[in-house]
Amino acid sequence: GTQIRSCKEEFFLNMNALQHRIRLAVAKHGLDEPSNEVAAVISHAAQERVKNLVEKLAIITEHRLEMVKS
Amino acid sequence: SNAATPSEPLQQVLSKTRMSDLVRDIDPNIYMEDEVEEILLSYVDDFVDRVLNGASMIAKHRHVNNIEVKDVQQFINRNFNMWAPGLGTDELRP
Repeated sequence: GTQIRSCKEEFFLNMNALQHRIRLAVAKHGLDEPSNEVAAVISHAAQERVKNLVEKLAIITEHRLEMVKS
Repeated sequence: SNAATPSEPLQQVLSKTRMSDLVRDIDPNIYMEDEVEEILLSYVDDFVDRVLNGASMIAKHRHVNNIEVKDVQQFINRNFNMWAPGLGTDELRP
């Protein structure tokens, strides 16, 4: 059955867009549609990935600005 | 609509608003050029497709009919050297 959650979950990714990509991917591989937890974990992973990249970019930018100063 | 037609233009999975929120959370002093933002937004689309493709391969390797959270975690762990947070403490290995 369908599980209805009372708490509102905020996702990093647009769930409609993500579900669309999930449907395309599973259709391509001949798989059935996965549970909503799969979408949630992908959203969390994307958030971590972007956070990591932005943090690295910020460090690089800082170094560049330091070099300009000196 | 439920039909996943390949010809349909794909919507980006990450919005500019969400991206700006995250950047502000990391450091409110970061200024990100529009071009950089665009690159990161399309990177996220690519990331999602790679994860879905990889997790599908792992699920197929396990001879099951759908992707499970552990398939996603395993792919991410192997390819991005990071841990997908939350959602279950299932044993990683099948």
